[in-house]
Amino acid sequence: MSYYFTILSPTDVPLFNIAFGTSKSGGDGIARFRFPDTAQYMNQFIIHSSLDIVEEAQWMNGNMYLKHIDTYPPASAYISAFLTPSGARFLLLHQPPQLASNSGQGAGGSGSMGGSMSGSLLLGSAGGSSRASASSIANNPTSPQTEEAVRQFMTEVYENYVKTVMSPFYRQGMEIKSPVFRGRVTAAGRKWL
Amino acid sequence: MTSPGDAAPVKPPPSFSPGVPRVASKSRYPNQRRDSSPALDADLVDSRIRSPTPPLTATTAELPIRSASPRALSFRSSTPQLARSSLGSPVEGRFDGAEEIRSLIIRSFAPVVGVYASADTDELVRQKGFAGGFWELIRPFGENVPGKLVIRDSVGSSRGWEDYGVRFVNLASNSPPPTNSSSGRNPSLAQVEEVLEKQLGTTDDPLGGSMRPRDFLNFPTTSPLYKVFLRHLLSISSATPHETFRHPVASVIAISSRNTAPLETLRQLYADTSNGPRRLPDWCHSEYLRYYVLIHDEDRDDIAESTKLYDQMKRHFGLHCHLLRLRSNQCVVTDDDSVQVPECEWLSPTERLSGGAEPLVDLDNNGLYLFDSDIMAIKAFIRELVAQSVIPFMENRVAVWNDQVASRRRGISGRFMSMSRRWAGFGTGSRSSLTSGGASGNYDVAHGYYRPDTPEALLRKMADFAFMLRDWKLSASTYELLRSDYANDKAWKYHAGAYEMCAVSMLLNPAAMGTKVKLDGIDQMFDTACYSYLTRCSDTPNALRCLTLAMELLKSRGGSAVESAARWAMRAMDLGLVGSIGQGLFSERVSACYAARSPVSGMKWGSRRRKAGMWSVFAADMWLRLGKPSLASAALEEAERLYADVLDGDGGFPMPEMQTFVDNLRHAVKVEYLEARGLDTRDEAATAEALGTEETSEKLDRRMNRKSLISNPLDSGGLGPAQGTRDDDNAANDDFERA
Repeated sequence: MSYYFTILSPTDVPLFNIAFGTSKSGGDGIARFRFPDTAQYMNQFIIHSSLDIVEEAQWMNGNMYLKHIDTYPPASAYISAFLTPSGARFLLLHQPPQLASNSGQGAGGSGSMGGSMSGSLLLGSAGGSSRASASSIANNPTSPQTEEAVRQFMTEVYENYVKTVMSPFYRQGMEIKSPVFRGRVTAAGRKWL
Repeated sequence: MTSPGDAAPVKPPPSFSPGVPRVASKSRYPNQRRDSSPALDADLVDSRIRSPTPPLTATTAELPIRSASPRALSFRSSTPQLARSSLGSPVEGRFDGAEEIRSLIIRSFAPVVGVYASADTDELVRQKGFAGGFWELIRPFGENVPGKLVIRDSVGSSRGWEDYGVRFVNLASNSPPPTNSSSGRNPSLAQVEEVLEKQLGTTDDPLGGSMRPRDFLNFPTTSPLYKVFLRHLLSISSATPHETFRHPVASVIAISSRNTAPLETLRQLYADTSNGPRRLPDWCHSEYLRYYVLIHDEDRDDIAESTKLYDQMKRHFGLHCHLLRLRSNQCVVTDDDSVQVPECEWLSPTERLSGGAEPLVDLDNNGLYLFDSDIMAIKAFIRELVAQSVIPFMENRVAVWNDQVASRRRGISGRFMSMSRRWAGFGTGSRSSLTSGGASGNYDVAHGYYRPDTPEALLRKMADFAFMLRDWKLSASTYELLRSDYANDKAWKYHAGAYEMCAVSMLLNPAAMGTKVKLDGIDQMFDTACYSYLTRCSDTPNALRCLTLAMELLKSRGGSAVESAARWAMRAMDLGLVGSIGQGLFSERVSACYAARSPVSGMKWGSRRRKAGMWSVFAADMWLRLGKPSLASAALEEAERLYADVLDGDGGFPMPEMQTFVDNLRHAVKVEYLEARGLDTRDEAATAEALGTEETSEKLDRRMNRKSLISNPLDSGGLGPAQGTRDDDNAANDDFERA
């Protein structure tokens, strides 16, 4: 499972980005998206497009954690969202690894932009480890366990976000550059995802 | 059926019962055609022909203003709602985007009429320049029956349709298709792709951005290329056992006044089609309407003779006869009353590829002309054929089958029967008996079809008839009835077809506006149909048809249905059902689907602008990779339009990587576009800059105002690059304009 986590300001400006992979069940914590490295803009496109749904979902739901809100089927990317009271939005894109059995279909189908490019990206080690963890959260992006794990992650990031934002050197709308915050987010990712 | 050896010359086939519908029919079709329709048609043709020049200057001139003014956009975004509100009347709203596609889909399921002409008739028509004989002569005219046709549905209410049509097929050359359709499935999709390629090749060269229709400014309409794709996709299918849309509903048997033994020939022709060499395959219902036509040669023969013969025919065959008066001389352009023969709208991809005649370009070389009087005669003939014979015949059949077959199944006892049959199947406990014998035993497993006289086949035929008569309520309920039967018999292709058409009829039925629950059910049906087509029958063209219909019809429903519409389009792309051009087209469709979602009234949210914009950008990327810069620039323009009101005033993306990607794409599109037109890029760039600066000064003013309103400190960061791209854009547009 690969993750792309973004904090967006109320005006859709990204304040913080991080990409990481799963550390559970032998994962090495490195993100391996289905797009080649030259197409990392895909993540941003997908996140950006899911803002449509966030805007709608935030009025339908009283919670801060909106759960899984959107899917981008061609690359099977799932988006979970979390709202802060100040209007900043946490968006987490998670993408299950491509299974070895899946890759044939993906390459044959080659439907989407992501799909066609992804075949070459599949690493042997990633394929192997993902097989082993077929039942874990990594491969079930919509399962209750995943929802719960993402919720824990979001809550922890939120706590750290509040602390960071309260720093006297931070002005609202500024990009978050604090290395401590980045470290904390990475740790939360390692802990929960 | 009548036996061929009967002494009586030719009996009228017993399949129709003259009287009831036909007597009434004269009075039922008052001459109340509205004149607006032909005018609109002419308009459409007109725009199709001259589309290359006008839209280009118009659109590009408007462009900067358009992409930067959210007010105009909010107006435009309300159009889908308008389309939906007029959903009850497909004819009225035929020319706004969604309705046009809907009408296209409805018209694609038209009854098929076989044509079987005697040798002397074909000879006569060949003299007029039609190599294909009588069939080729009347074919284009059948596609749109002039005037309004009134069809009565199963509950007795009548409804007029302006856009009804029939397809003529040539029975004389009908033997090969069945084998073709089962083995050559991928070829047919490849052919569609090839047609698109060809279409692109011809229209892309002369003037690039001309792919959009004229009313581009008002509506986010579908591109003509997509319509070509859809039309060909829907006309791939040939006659197959599992659906009866392509089975002839009637057949025209034609002789000419030159014939020396007319009645004898008619008898022979009839015998050929009923049990001779021209017989339909076993799985076709052999009871269809026969319509006898006598063609009188105005130039050579005596009308008195022909009238006498015609009277004789009427005595023999009843009212399903027509005397068609044609001139046998060939008509050339220079003749006084020459009229060009219209193009066939519904050509299968194979025909389109072999035909070669390109409607958009070779207007002058396509040298088939007819005398005005001939055209009038043919149109009158076809109207009479359809209005007084074909439709009453179909209505009658539907009523009879509904009475005799369907109501028996629908009643309590019928339900009980089918249920007990199912339980009996389980009761025996052996799976093999279920598969081999089937629950009903009517399914011929070895050959894979139901015999045409079994209730299952009859019901399917009835449902298809009802569908073609546009009585979608009846057809939906009948398909629903059939689904479980086919599943029990493991007749998977039938099963898939029933699910597909059930969902399609539900969506077409204007009365049953979808609630959320219903939409879920429809999604489920499409899913089942698609699965059956693909996995159990590996029938890709039908699977693609199913997904495309699902997408288009759900899209025309609007509201939350567009989300699933977009999902089906993505599914089709994911399954690899479409080729490279299809990928681009489908990306544009996904974008259009999302764009059709309108925001919650009075709010800013609820629309899917960002998603729509994203897919447009992807489409542009795909077109560029296919080497179609003009299409790419159109898609980019669309993306800009869609993104305009979600991005802040200067049109810059908040995310840096997106911004660079879009910038690069814009640049690449521009460069390729200019290169494709064989211009020197450097010179152009220079002039473009010169032109661009003028506009920027004006634009800067605007943005200053805007900025002072927003006063967002972060904007200043995005201003620089965005400004640059906007300039580029203007420059490119100015080039367009000068061309």
